Amino acid sequence: MNRVIRINGTEWPADVPPTTPLSDFLREHAGLTGTKIGCRTGECGACTVLLDGRPVTSCLVWVARAWGRDVTTVEGLGDDQRLDPVQVAFLELNAAQCGFCIPGLLVSARALLDEAAARGWPPTALEVRERLSGHLCRCTGYQKIVEAVLKAAENGMKEMRLELG
Amino acid sequence: MSLGSVGRPWPQIDAVDKVRGRTRYAADMTLPGQLYGRILRSPVPHGIIRRIDTSRALKVPGVRAVITAADLPPNGPEGKGRVPFGPYVDDWEILCSDRVRYIGDEVAAVAAVSEEAAAEALELIEVEYEPLPAVFDMHEALEPGAPVLWPERPGNIASRFDIARGDLDAARRKAHLVLEERYSTNRIYHAYLEPIAVLAEAHPGDRYTLIAPTHIPYKARVTYARGLGIDPGKIRLIVPPMGGSFGAKYELNVCMIAMLLARKTGRPVKMVFDRAEDAAAGHHRPPLHFDIRLALDRDGRFLSKEVRIVATAGARTMWTPPVVATAAHRIDALYHFEAVRAEALLVYTNTSPTTCMRGFGNAEMLFAFEQMVDQAAEELGIDPVEIRKRNAVRAGDVTIHGWRIGSSALEECLDRVALLSGFSRRKPAPRHPPASGKARGLGLAIGHHVSGYRPILAEYDGSAAWVRLDMDGRLSVAVGEPDIGQGLNTVVAMIAADELGVSPSEIDVMPVDTAHSPAAVGTLGSRATIMAGAAVKAAARDFKKKLLAFAGELLGADPGELVLERGRVLWRRGGGESGEREGGPGASLTLAELGRRWAAAHTGSPLVGQGSYRPETVLPGPDKYGNPSPAYPFAAHVAEVEVDVETGAVEVVNYWAVHDSGRIINPSTATGQVQGGVAQGIGWALMEDVAIRGGRVENPNFLDYRIPGFQDVPPMTVEFVGESEPNSPTGVKSLGESALNPVLPAIANAVYNAVGVRIHDAPLTPEAVWRAIQRRREELAAAGKEREAQ
Repeated sequence: MNRVIRINGTEWPADVPPTTPLSDFLREHAGLTGTKIGCRTGECGACTVLLDGRPVTSCLVWVARAWGRDVTTVEGLGDDQRLDPVQVAFLELNAAQCGFCIPGLLVSARALLDEAAARGWPPTALEVRERLSGHLCRCTGYQKIVEAVLKAAENGMKEMRLELG
Repeated sequence: MSLGSVGRPWPQIDAVDKVRGRTRYAADMTLPGQLYGRILRSPVPHGIIRRIDTSRALKVPGVRAVITAADLPPNGPEGKGRVPFGPYVDDWEILCSDRVRYIGDEVAAVAAVSEEAAAEALELIEVEYEPLPAVFDMHEALEPGAPVLWPERPGNIASRFDIARGDLDAARRKAHLVLEERYSTNRIYHAYLEPIAVLAEAHPGDRYTLIAPTHIPYKARVTYARGLGIDPGKIRLIVPPMGGSFGAKYELNVCMIAMLLARKTGRPVKMVFDRAEDAAAGHHRPPLHFDIRLALDRDGRFLSKEVRIVATAGARTMWTPPVVATAAHRIDALYHFEAVRAEALLVYTNTSPTTCMRGFGNAEMLFAFEQMVDQAAEELGIDPVEIRKRNAVRAGDVTIHGWRIGSSALEECLDRVALLSGFSRRKPAPRHPPASGKARGLGLAIGHHVSGYRPILAEYDGSAAWVRLDMDGRLSVAVGEPDIGQGLNTVVAMIAADELGVSPSEIDVMPVDTAHSPAAVGTLGSRATIMAGAAVKAAARDFKKKLLAFAGELLGADPGELVLERGRVLWRRGGGESGEREGGPGASLTLAELGRRWAAAHTGSPLVGQGSYRPETVLPGPDKYGNPSPAYPFAAHVAEVEVDVETGAVEVVNYWAVHDSGRIINPSTATGQVQGGVAQGIGWALMEDVAIRGGRVENPNFLDYRIPGFQDVPPMTVEFVGESEPNSPTGVKSLGESALNPVLPAIANAVYNAVGVRIHDAPLTPEAVWRAIQRRREELAAAGKEREAQ
């Protein structure tokens, strides 16, 4: 097995003990501290990243499971010039207060929006609450986060319609 | 100021970093040569340390230091000996000298090159404990013969607070109704998402750099300096962005442990709590017990109120003394009474030390009192809105303790929340709990708070700020109150921006660092926006005056003819636009140009405006009389709940919150504060409880200690009413804590309205509600039998 992980589109050598938590590899070896550690037991969701596009709590994933696969962290959303629409919505609506839970929430929201775009209709508020329920936030009361995801979805759908039209 | 930012929703100025994952919290920082520190904590709730052997731990490869109480530097008089110290009561030690007092007490600490090596070393430290009898319940701790935690404080009393005013006997004689009730609130965990994390570096000459979360950097370093036996000025405290605190991260023993490990090893030391450690030995909201006697006249006017409070300090005293003082008498600034008396005891037990948390003391008392108000309203046949209006303070009032209410839109809050929630559809509570199914109910509660509190720091009240223009044209603002995630930096940037005619995004708010920030009282007591905001406004005005005078010199204009707008100084009178021309109307200079020219004219110095705000507050003397806060925020909340009669489970299905916080600077972050406060209140009311058995926290994780998730919090309606506060230079009052304060009683009153049972002990778990329903049924059945027998 090639001990390499493709992180945010760039290949990273990941020749560390196979049972290293992916969260530790990302933070300490790849220097990607956007991924946060809140509990190390998969309960808070702060360490969520996308593994081949699907959200996982990276504190519970061994690095070996990510060898040869794609990992997306919060640093992989948007680029230097542009924010991802979901980042824009979180920013505009003040969905972040202290911000510690936000990186994990953003990548989960991105996965949810990608699925919604693939099926062609936006998520409902209830769906957003259900799909993001693995994330804890102590500051916001969640309402602005839900509104931000719905707004990002709406904006994304508008773009899609423009492309189609 | 229609073009300004104030009053409009504004994204947090540091939100771009937050959504990009670039905000660096303490645990994200790494210093060269950094070691990892860990704490060995007591496994017994009370005991004498007979022996500590660290020799095996020191042999673990990678371990650089192991410290115990024997390694603590002298901090006694004239630099000799060890003396206990602490923020309120001198019962802190850094590391236990001879005795441990709770499961989690700090016994030894390790620094190693990796977390694994540090963890291994902890296992190899041998400690022999001689167990002592322990006491975990605060009432038992007050019993004669209870185990005593601190022999020098017999009876386990950590502190007490007493207050009395008015003629109780005279007031009581007029009573038509007297309610005597017992209520209690429980121990909860702040449950911020970022576990406690600190970094320390030691420098020659007893100097330290500490990167650590705190609301009160200047106060915290005084405590740390006392612990280390050094001058506070030797500690540079840098406050990193905080991943939540809600009151827990004021002053932390771990900071001194990290500093000592750094001193011993000569290397930077990082210490990060794991969640279980944080939840068990971080700090908790204290449990409070209330006995309240309230006398009312026939019209529902409050005559007298007598209160006895017992609260848990835990094994050491952190910030709980002001919590019990608040619980004892802050309600007297919400309602008028003819006479009041309160006594409050703070009691040691062999449990994790408690500390302040959002709305401290006030939220607990409101849980009890706002339920009693509803009870009185029902017994007297008065509408719940009306009875509150009859007793609440109004603008211009002076309360029984001399607190001055500058503005209050509480009546408007009540009317508006009643309208929004359709409170008139509320039916009387059922006499018999429904037999099955789900029952709905509506509950109302009001609340208030201070906007800063004079007794926090004896030396002074208020805040100072600087506004600065550098030679590169950069505008920055410095305040000493840390942003704790609520958006304070954005609010002060907005206030400065409007004074200076720029966008808030063009202003940097400097991180709080005791090396260069104004010395501040801190971000606590709902004081940051009113105090720092007013100071920034004053600093911006001073800055503008200096800037216009300088621009006037350059342009040959009278400063009175110059305006500062859109990032430049413009010579207003006459003429068209001609930025090129100096010395005539219409000429202008950009801030960048002015910064460069000021620096050139002042050998590199930035242009600095200074400002401060000193509210007209009174430091209460022994009589505890006088106004301690410039302004008082008010709120009225309504909760709608659905109670599953068969399981006792309560769901909050709707929530309305109307607040008078004076002028609102940023409606977006203000709304977020209320939503977050309500969510925390829902968690406390229904779900959260730190379970301690035999001194051990049994649920130190998010699986067993559940905080509200996405599906536990309903959509909330939040509105603001009220006018600009006359006693506040920016017109603001406060919001952070008044957001939480009415939540518990609103939910408890709604549960009563749904099923006819009143819950006296928070939290309202399914079991508690179910039991109360069964009890009520039994009482009704017994009463029925009695009637038949007659």
